[in-house]
Amino acid sequence: MKLKDILSPFTAWKHVVREPVTIKDPFSREGADRYRGFHKNDIETCIGCGTCEDICQNAAIDMVPVEGIETKDGDSGLRPQIDYGRCCWCALCVDVCTTNSLSLSNHFTWVDEDADVFRFIPGVDKKDWDNEERGWKKPEPNYELYEKERVPMRELHPEERDKSFIEMVKGYSKEEAEREADRCVECGICIATCPAHMGIPEYIKAVREDNIEEGFKKLYETNPLPEICGRICTHKCETVCSVGHTGDPLSIRWLKRYIADQVESEDYKNILGTDGIENNGKKIAIIGSGPSGLSAAHYLALMGYQVKIFEAFDKAGGMMRYGIPEYRLPYDQIDKDINYILSLGVEIQYNTKVGKDVSLADLEKEYDAVFAGTGLHLGRSTRIPGSDHENVYFATDLLREITQGKEIHVAEKIVVIGGGNVAMDITRSLARLQNQKYGKVDVTATSLESEDIMPADREEIVESREEKAIVDPGWGPTSIEIENNKIKGLHVQKCTSVFDEEGRFNPKFDESQTKFFEADMIVESIGQGMDIEYISKDIREQMEFDPRGRIIVDDYFQSGAKWLFVGGDIIQGPDVIHGIANGHRAAIGIDKYLNEKA
Amino acid sequence: MNKKRFTINEDRSLFPEKNAEGKIDIDLSSHKYLKLWQGPQHPGITGNMSLELTVLGDEVMDCETHVGYLHRGFEKLMERRKYIQCFPIVCRVAVPEPDFNEYCFASAMEELAGIEVPEMAQWLRTLVLEMSRLQSYLMWIGGQSGAFGSGIIGQWSIYLRDLVLDRFEELTGGRVYHMYQLPGGVRGLLPDGFKQRMEETLLTIEKFMDDIDKVMFNNAVFKKRSVGMGYIDPSWVNKFGITGPNARAAGIPLDVRKDYPYLKYPELDFDVVVGKDSDIYTRADIRRKDLLLSVDLIRQIFAKMPEKGDIKAKTPNVLHWKVPKGETYSRAECTRGEYGYYMVSDGTEYPRRINVRGPSYTHAVALLEKMIINTNIADVAGLMVSLHTYPPEIER
Amino acid sequence: MKDIIDRIKTKYTISEVVEQRKNLSFVTVSKEQAISIITFLRDIEGFKHLVLLTAADWIENDKFQLTYLLNNPTEKIDLGVRVFISRENASMESAHHLWEQVATYQRELKEMFGIDFPDSPGVDKPFILEGWEDIPPYRRDFDTKQYSEDTYFPRPGRESNDPAEYMKKKLYPNE
Repeated sequence: MKLKDILSPFTAWKHVVREPVTIKDPFSREGADRYRGFHKNDIETCIGCGTCEDICQNAAIDMVPVEGIETKDGDSGLRPQIDYGRCCWCALCVDVCTTNSLSLSNHFTWVDEDADVFRFIPGVDKKDWDNEERGWKKPEPNYELYEKERVPMRELHPEERDKSFIEMVKGYSKEEAEREADRCVECGICIATCPAHMGIPEYIKAVREDNIEEGFKKLYETNPLPEICGRICTHKCETVCSVGHTGDPLSIRWLKRYIADQVESEDYKNILGTDGIENNGKKIAIIGSGPSGLSAAHYLALMGYQVKIFEAFDKAGGMMRYGIPEYRLPYDQIDKDINYILSLGVEIQYNTKVGKDVSLADLEKEYDAVFAGTGLHLGRSTRIPGSDHENVYFATDLLREITQGKEIHVAEKIVVIGGGNVAMDITRSLARLQNQKYGKVDVTATSLESEDIMPADREEIVESREEKAIVDPGWGPTSIEIENNKIKGLHVQKCTSVFDEEGRFNPKFDESQTKFFEADMIVESIGQGMDIEYISKDIREQMEFDPRGRIIVDDYFQSGAKWLFVGGDIIQGPDVIHGIANGHRAAIGIDKYLNEKA
Repeated sequence: MNKKRFTINEDRSLFPEKNAEGKIDIDLSSHKYLKLWQGPQHPGITGNMSLELTVLGDEVMDCETHVGYLHRGFEKLMERRKYIQCFPIVCRVAVPEPDFNEYCFASAMEELAGIEVPEMAQWLRTLVLEMSRLQSYLMWIGGQSGAFGSGIIGQWSIYLRDLVLDRFEELTGGRVYHMYQLPGGVRGLLPDGFKQRMEETLLTIEKFMDDIDKVMFNNAVFKKRSVGMGYIDPSWVNKFGITGPNARAAGIPLDVRKDYPYLKYPELDFDVVVGKDSDIYTRADIRRKDLLLSVDLIRQIFAKMPEKGDIKAKTPNVLHWKVPKGETYSRAECTRGEYGYYMVSDGTEYPRRINVRGPSYTHAVALLEKMIINTNIADVAGLMVSLHTYPPEIER
Repeated sequence: MKDIIDRIKTKYTISEVVEQRKNLSFVTVSKEQAISIITFLRDIEGFKHLVLLTAADWIENDKFQLTYLLNNPTEKIDLGVRVFISRENASMESAHHLWEQVATYQRELKEMFGIDFPDSPGVDKPFILEGWEDIPPYRRDFDTKQYSEDTYFPRPGRESNDPAEYMKKKLYPNE
């Protein structure tokens, strides 16, 4: 035993005079800047996707309705409620939040005798820390719990594609599709926005898990034209995708196409289990083989109805074939979808225009019910001076003639009036034809709407420009200058606004700003109208029309003439996916109507 | 070898003789023995476990370790959670050393999934592991001296530990459970001024360690009770699966940081601390030196780590991350020895089986039960703490 | 590592060798040869340290997997010895004579998986669970969620909504 060992411990006494280190008031101690304390939620930004609830391993989060927050496209109207009896403060809910609305404050002391107050909806139930800047936020940068960037789609180079009508989008490979599908957080916010309410998260999951058959079956539950929709759908779903709030939305459309592309035509019936459907002996006539007609035919055929489609042209598909250029939607893909529907026993009588070759009244007599999906085919004119010149065309007519293989007039300098997808379609088609004929492109598309509100899909505008077409939006046409019976060009004036304060179409112009587009051919693409001449007067009398002349139908697309169902572009849209949804719904309606009648 | 081995009561006439197997036949009906429960209410600073002691006089004749007081079934819970959902719970396996759990879990998963963690994240992981070692030793040192009746060290060391926890709070957002080492990386860079505040903390710790050296290690009472006491024979190391300071005190230089270099340890300059006497005092001294080594390593890390860099590798979407089929074992050196996660994946979104290997599993059961025989009951707590055992990792 | 495996192969039958990383491999051996191989590895090949002994339940194959993870502290390599045993009347030869801590592992495996190790000291004594009457809880067919629902009661007043279902209810209930 050393003396030092006995004396040395007494040095502890020097601490008697040390300043105490105890925190005197623990309640006022502030948490660190990153501290994970009570939740905050910016309820305006939050869309109620429930991803926070999914990741919470403690089941501490419930998605609950909140008064004053409306359920609408892209917002479930639900907000997370946290139960602090279960929360473990891991903040994974914050890190995974799709909108970055959720965060944690650095407040951590809260004493109450009532246990129930520790369950509240952050951002809705006001708390002291709602405006606290400090606390846990999602770490920055390069810290993501799922990929925010979209897997790029491989496309033909502008130089490769601007001379031909070969399909420009190549489609995802297996690896790319699975990588893209992996980004989905499976919130399901998109389902409500899709007109057909497709089971989007489910089919994306099938892609991820390489279960193509399952995904294919999912597609056909709500959409019998997946090859077509997978290419040209307006993909409203992608505009509300929760992942899109802080990154790129999922490529829902391309994933749908990926599934459909993987399945060979001969396997369709096998996978979908549609061999040997029992005929129920009832007959349905369908007018028009566009998306709504085909969709109705498909679902009616599955229910056992004998379906016959009357088609005015010599091929089926309607606007999908005659309106959309081949480089966006190749004809063999249209045929792939349609041939399957035909294989279910659906018949098509081509070159038969109802109202001319056969009357609607005859159909009523011969069939148990009729579905009309005749679409919008009549081009609308600007009716500006000079618009009656022979070298002023409607876009829909030209597009149809291109499909039919007819030689159309292609001038060296062309102006297209219109800013929608049809305008872009004709612009890009004419650019290709100019390239073939003259080896150069000189086509200008001009629209009333300024660039930010142009109705065409963004990528259509970008791709038009890549193909050397000029898009010059924000001009209202005033007249077409004609000299010696030859078109010289188009006069336009600046359009300052398109819609009035109530959101109605009411364009305003600035007459001092004008421009002249030189051209020797002009194409009008400002919308289409319906042609319902085939509905005779006595039938029309049974139907109802709104003040603007549109047919009024019920939830099942049944018109006032009970045996006549109407859907597609003449009711809703115009786009393919609404047509599909209408056709499906009408098929259910027809079945219901006939069952009730019997 | 020891200058002075701890001796038991020399007069063995009162004690029963050992049988042919070298064990004592205990006849409780003889009324010579007493059953004494050490625990389960924190019998030292070890957490909830209990020792069922059979004593004769004040000498322990037999001992059985009982656990099960804080069994939460983590291994089973993880089988029912997605990988990302296991991340917040693994740290809760061991209260004083959450980071080793986080690291082993993340690295096992990263190995199976083939994910390379960015350089910066590796440095930050090394940093939090050393910070965790520091605070765990500080907690232990109070327990060790407390078990021998000196409460003052515990007051100081818990204060020091709180300073480290303050730094953890700044860096990770949590004091005790840090939830920082996410599979794929970490959850944040160093906050502004962190290095300086950490340096201040380290200086305070060093200052107090001088005092602790004087008051605990140069203390006649502590020496009297610990030198020669609780001897672990080097030949037991493999036989009992002893790792960490308990093995190093016996002269076996086992240190995962050196033997199976991981993270940034290969770039750090340090020697494994080894002792030779293998008694309670030596083990305490090894841990003291290891604690100071951690202080040094933290400084080295600060000097060598880059200022900026990616904190997380790209991983699949955590909401449906499927880890490829396979199995692996990932280990790290915690304050008590080899900590490891054995992970089996069946290729789904959920782990098939995760087994947590904590060093206390061997130290607190087989080894303690053997060592404690013939110990005076007054020394049981000190002996137990000197093995630095934590029941949570025995029963998980 | 490869030469070690080759040397085992001269004496014993092993199947499915997986080299997980440079210093960690897994081999599958038969139940009959397992203890003999492990003894050989410990005494001849220098795998003196037992890292862990644990089990995994492959209920779909009706098998338990026992993993003896051995470590050679000199060479600094690990070898996992996997043994597949039948789930029915699961039983395995005891290895408690090889390492002192094995008896504890085997006691736990008996309790948590119901794998018997005859002659292992104290193998039938409860280790963690006292008075447990249900099936061994680490078996895959033990449903922890069901157990907690049966045993505990949830806090009243909690109700959640699936966003997609809720939006359907609100926006297009009839479609």
